[in-house]
Amino acid sequence: MSDAVKLPKVEISQLYFSYTGTGPYVLRDINLCIESGEYISVVGDNGSGKSTLMRLLLGFLKPQKGSLAVRASRLAYVPQKNDFSNASFPITVFEMMNAYRRLLKLKSRDCIQSALAQVGMQDHTRALMGTLSGGQHQKILIARALMGQPDLLILDEPSTGVDIDSQNEIYRFLKKLNREQGLTLISVEHNLDAALANSTQIYHISAGQGHLCSPEQYAAELLHRQRSLS
Amino acid sequence: MNMFQFAFMQNALFVSICISILCPCIGIFLVLRRYSMIGDTLSHASLAGVTLGLLSGHNPLLGAFLFTAVSGALIEWLRSYFKKFTDLILSIVLAFSVGTAITIISSGKLSANADSFMFGSILTVSREDMVLILILSLLSVLTLILLYNQLLYIAYDEEAARVAGVRVRLINYVFSILVAAAISVSIRIVGVLVLSSMIALPVATALQLGKGFRPTLLFSIAFSFIDIMLGLVVSYYLNVAPGGFSALVSVAVLLLVIAGKQLLGAIRTRQAAAV
Repeated sequence: MSDAVKLPKVEISQLYFSYTGTGPYVLRDINLCIESGEYISVVGDNGSGKSTLMRLLLGFLKPQKGSLAVRASRLAYVPQKNDFSNASFPITVFEMMNAYRRLLKLKSRDCIQSALAQVGMQDHTRALMGTLSGGQHQKILIARALMGQPDLLILDEPSTGVDIDSQNEIYRFLKKLNREQGLTLISVEHNLDAALANSTQIYHISAGQGHLCSPEQYAAELLHRQRSLS
Repeated sequence: MNMFQFAFMQNALFVSICISILCPCIGIFLVLRRYSMIGDTLSHASLAGVTLGLLSGHNPLLGAFLFTAVSGALIEWLRSYFKKFTDLILSIVLAFSVGTAITIISSGKLSANADSFMFGSILTVSREDMVLILILSLLSVLTLILLYNQLLYIAYDEEAARVAGVRVRLINYVFSILVAAAISVSIRIVGVLVLSSMIALPVATALQLGKGFRPTLLFSIAFSFIDIMLGLVVSYYLNVAPGGFSALVSVAVLLLVIAGKQLLGAIRTRQAAAV
C-alpha cells in the first residue's frame, strides 16, 4: 500500500504517437513523471503536440509505442472555452451540473452548490450556459470538474476567451487549489505569464519532443531565445 | 358525428399520442447534436424495411424497425471510418436503403401497396401494429429515462461525458435503435416522406423559447402533440394524408412562434426605449 502512495500520479515512458498509426510521429520519445501535488503547465507552439499529449492523458488516444500510466482515483477535465461552439444549447447551469453529478454517481445535490460557491458562481444556477460571459463559463466548468473531489485536474488553455480580470481570478483559484489543497494540476497553456507565475514545473514541447524544467529555467530559456532572435 | 367513434380513428389517435411523445424525445438529441439529417436518412431507410417486411410476409413495421436499427448502427460504424466526411455516410446509407426499396417495389412481387407508408394513412393501423407500437414506445421511453443524463451529456459535451466514464460508443448504438423505434412507430400515420418533420420541427419550435433542457423537451412534446392532433383532425375532414398535413401544421406553428418572439422582442425594445 505504501508503495502505491509513492508512485507518481502520471508516468510516461518513451511514448510515441501518430494519428496515422505509423510515422511521422506527432509526439516522439516522450518521458514525463508527474508527482502528486505538482502544477505542471504544458507549453509549446501551435501544432507542437501539447493538445495531443493532453488527449493521451485523458485516454481519448492510445500511444503507438511506449507506456503511459495515469494513477488518478478521480480524473477531472476542464475543456477549452472555445470548444463550446454550442452556445445555443438549451441548458441551465443547474441542469449541466446536476446531469454531471448523476454521471459521477454522486448522491447528494449539495456538491453542486458547494462546487459553484468555490468559484463564486452559486447565484447563477438558473442562468442558461449560453448567456454566460467567457469568464463565468470557465468558472462553471472548473466547478463542474471539482464535483466528486478529483485528485488530478487536466485543463485545456483555461484562459482562452476569458477577460483579464477573470483570468487573474481563475489562476489565483487554481494556484490555491494546488498549493493549499494539494490538487495535482496539468494545464495546457498558451498564456506563458500564467504558466511562469503559477506552475511548479513547466513541460515544454517543441516539434513533438518535450523537456521538463522549473519556471525559472524556462524564463531563462525564453530570454535567451528572445536575445538570439534580436 | 364524432370522428373518434370510428375504430380506425381511435387507433390513429393512440398512435398519434405515441408519436407526439417519442419523436421529440429522440428529436431533441438529434437536433442538438446537429444530426437532424440522420433522422431524415433513417426515415427513408425505413421504407426498405417496410418493403422487406411485405415481401417476406412479416409485419412491415417490424421490418422497418429492424432495417432502420441496422442502418442506424451502420451510420455509427461508418462515422469512425469516414471521420471527416460524415455527410457522405448519409448518402451511402440512403443509396443502399432507397435502392433496396425501389428495387423491391418495382419488382411487382409485393403482396400489398407500400404507398400508404410513404404518405401516411389513418386507415391502415391494425391491431397488430398497435401492439408493436405500444411495446416499442414503452421500451423507448424507459430507455430514454434510464439514459437521460448520458444522452444529454453526449449531446452537450462528449469529451466530459467520456471523462466521467460514459461509454459513448455503446450509447450511440443504443440511440440508433431508439431512433429506429421512433421511426417505426410513426411511419403508419406520418409516412416516410415527411417523418423527419415530426422529429425536428417541434424541437426547432421549442428552441425558440430560450429555456433550459427539460422545459425545451416538454415544450417539444407539447408542440408535437398540437402538430399531430391538428394534422389528424383536419386531414380527416379534408380527406388528405395526415402526415403531409401534420408537416404543414408543424411549419406553421414554428413560423407563428418565431413571429410571436419577434413581436415580443419589438414590444420590449419599445418599452425599454420609452422608460
